[in-house]
Amino acid sequence: MTTATLVKQKTSVTLRLSHFIGVALAALILISYYVLPFVVQPERGPSDIATLTGGRGNNEFGLAVNGLVMLPFAGLGALLLGVWNLLSPRHERVIALLLAVCGFVGLTYYVIFFRQYLETSADYLSSMSVGFWLMLGACVALVAQVAVPRRPAERDYTPRAVLSNQEMVLAAGLILLVIVVGIANPRFLAERNLSDVIQGHAYIAVAALGMTMVIVTGNIDISVGSLVGLLAIISGRLATDTGQIWLAWLAPLFVGALFGGVNGFFVAYMRIPSIVVTLGMLSIIKGILLIWTAGSRVVDLPQGFFLAQMRPLNVPMPIWFMVVLTIVVALWMRYSGLGRAMYAVGGNKEAARLSGLNEQRIVFQAFVLNGVFVGIASVLYATQLTIIQATPPPNLELTIITSAVVGGVSILGGTGTVVGAAIAAILLNVIRTAMVFINVSPFWLQAVQGLLILVTVLADLLRRRRQRR
Amino acid sequence: MALQEKSKLQPAPDDGLVVRIRGALLSQEGVLFLILVVSVIVLSLNTDRFLQPSNLLTQARLLVEVGLVALPMTFIIITGGIDLSVGSILGLTAIMIGIGWQTLGLPLELAIVLALAIATLCGFVNGLFIVRVGVPPLIMTLATLALYRGLAQGISEGRSVRGYPEWFTALGQGDFLGLPTQIWFLIVGVIVSWVILARTTFGRTLYAIGNNETGARFSGLNVDRAKLLIYSYSGFMAGLAGWIFVSRVTTTRSDMGSGLELDVIAAVVLGGTSIFGGTGSITGTVIGMVLIQLLKNGLALNGVTQDATIIVIGLVLIFAILVNNFIQGQRQKS
Repeated sequence: MTTATLVKQKTSVTLRLSHFIGVALAALILISYYVLPFVVQPERGPSDIATLTGGRGNNEFGLAVNGLVMLPFAGLGALLLGVWNLLSPRHERVIALLLAVCGFVGLTYYVIFFRQYLETSADYLSSMSVGFWLMLGACVALVAQVAVPRRPAERDYTPRAVLSNQEMVLAAGLILLVIVVGIANPRFLAERNLSDVIQGHAYIAVAALGMTMVIVTGNIDISVGSLVGLLAIISGRLATDTGQIWLAWLAPLFVGALFGGVNGFFVAYMRIPSIVVTLGMLSIIKGILLIWTAGSRVVDLPQGFFLAQMRPLNVPMPIWFMVVLTIVVALWMRYSGLGRAMYAVGGNKEAARLSGLNEQRIVFQAFVLNGVFVGIASVLYATQLTIIQATPPPNLELTIITSAVVGGVSILGGTGTVVGAAIAAILLNVIRTAMVFINVSPFWLQAVQGLLILVTVLADLLRRRRQRR
Repeated sequence: MALQEKSKLQPAPDDGLVVRIRGALLSQEGVLFLILVVSVIVLSLNTDRFLQPSNLLTQARLLVEVGLVALPMTFIIITGGIDLSVGSILGLTAIMIGIGWQTLGLPLELAIVLALAIATLCGFVNGLFIVRVGVPPLIMTLATLALYRGLAQGISEGRSVRGYPEWFTALGQGDFLGLPTQIWFLIVGVIVSWVILARTTFGRTLYAIGNNETGARFSGLNVDRAKLLIYSYSGFMAGLAGWIFVSRVTTTRSDMGSGLELDVIAAVVLGGTSIFGGTGSITGTVIGMVLIQLLKNGLALNGVTQDATIIVIGLVLIFAILVNNFIQGQRQKS
């Protein structure tokens, strides 16, 4: 290694003040959450926050007391990412985005809490007010950190450029919507409701991760809706018939990969357009589902089966799955060879082939992975309720595709991130629930969904047009 | 081999009969027709109800809605586009007929005209965004698939409309000149569409767009106008199908026609229209839709449950495209 490259490397890891922001803010959240309450109320003794804030007697709306637990997770996430931010000189955009997501989670819960504080004047909150102001500051700063360039002039941070970042727009829209609807009807902010909203659609967010991969390679899969139905029934049947819970949880992943593989085989190697293949697969799966189940339901599921109803560390399992998988897949899509290759294939198939990528295998793998994610989503869906219906929610594939597209995945292929898809999945369900809370007939939901796709696609096209100029 | 090459170079009357038959059989329509004949024979072996005229007429009646929409869909797919919103337009039309008549108190005739106008407008909006803004047809019509269905649901709020007068239901349930009334719509539609596609410059324009849109543009063809027209045509036909549907089942619900787009696309693609655009014919589409309807009915009469026929259709769809790809490959080689 020559001196020149060494020097270059050294300059590239030079630490600036902004590198420490994430770490500092994360520390602030954690301290204000764990330490301050005990300083202010030493007589309570050391205990966890849930116990501390456990008195719900005067909590009319059943607000997000246990939801507070999300805060230290946001802090922890911000801490880890901030440390990475320090260690790794590159990739600041994704890191900054994830930091912003952590800050966003914290901020949302802060908003909910503050409302609760105003409504109920519960004394346990007043004792923590210092911590809460600190938290608010930290969360706002975390969100703002996305705009701090680590290497100035590398990125355009004008309002227009930030607006063209789909994930930011969605996150801002989501938070705005939650606040507006919350003001119109405080019951919307009740913990049970908010956690239902996020949990209920978490499986769609997971399925949207796989769909994102497929769409990024320039294809589409419209068979996912019926596949979720089939895999959920498989999972339920295995649980009731064999009693092997692990088998019931894992089998859908393999069967999903199998179906994804069949789709991928026809698309990649037989060169049949994905829309036709998955259209055919849609009817095949639907037929299998109808014959096999004959419209019956799976009941009497064994005790340990309900994965989605578990709450490790007091956070519902679907949210764990959604958050962890989204982060993992986002990083994987960005840094792994296959992930980059998917973007390359979707961006320009011919160029990808000429640069030595096995374009057929990459498309095939995208479909297999999609099948696996559909499998995970199905397990979450199946274990959510005590009865598994043979009919999946209507238009499920449309909701999943909408999530991916609204999340900024260009249907033309080659662009888009899974973070946006996950946020969009939540946004869709928030809209659905919000409509109920502000007395709009839910019958209009699908129209709103359609408009949302349209607006996103138009924005995407306008953006591309402007970039071309 | 030599003979075939000769036939390619000069498709003149001095071609041998064998070569011409071979060419016809190798075409997608020929293969499909063979499949159709074979499946009709196989399906009628076990049951004598299948080939009864009354049964076939009933099947023809059921075929009309998919058939009408499949005609403009053939045009659209030939240009390399797709229209997923047809089922939703059908549902919206049905709702508009019901709402216009019962809630707004319009005369039923006027409500029908209004609904058809709205259906055409829906198709026109699809076309407008695809042409003027450059939204890919797949995603545009996916969005309006949700949007139009959502409008139908929102406007009707899930209520159904019943109690249509007798003359209205005659269209969907009555007979005219010995055939189910709506079949005449389909026959006229097929003839008109066939003439447009095969015998007019407009039809040639559609093929040109599908083969090379930029090329078509540079040759001075009015690509934008052609696209606007076919998407509007698609909206209109979906509306017509909606009217017939309401008349046939004598009730209006907002979920009418959901999934129609799949049946229609299956019929068109089965009929040999390449989803990439550039090739296809109305003849193929007609054979495709007849084949699907007969398969459904024949299998049902042979004791296969309705659910299993869905699988068969999915398999037939993929199989048909594989065969098509194979034939195209063979042709390119020779």
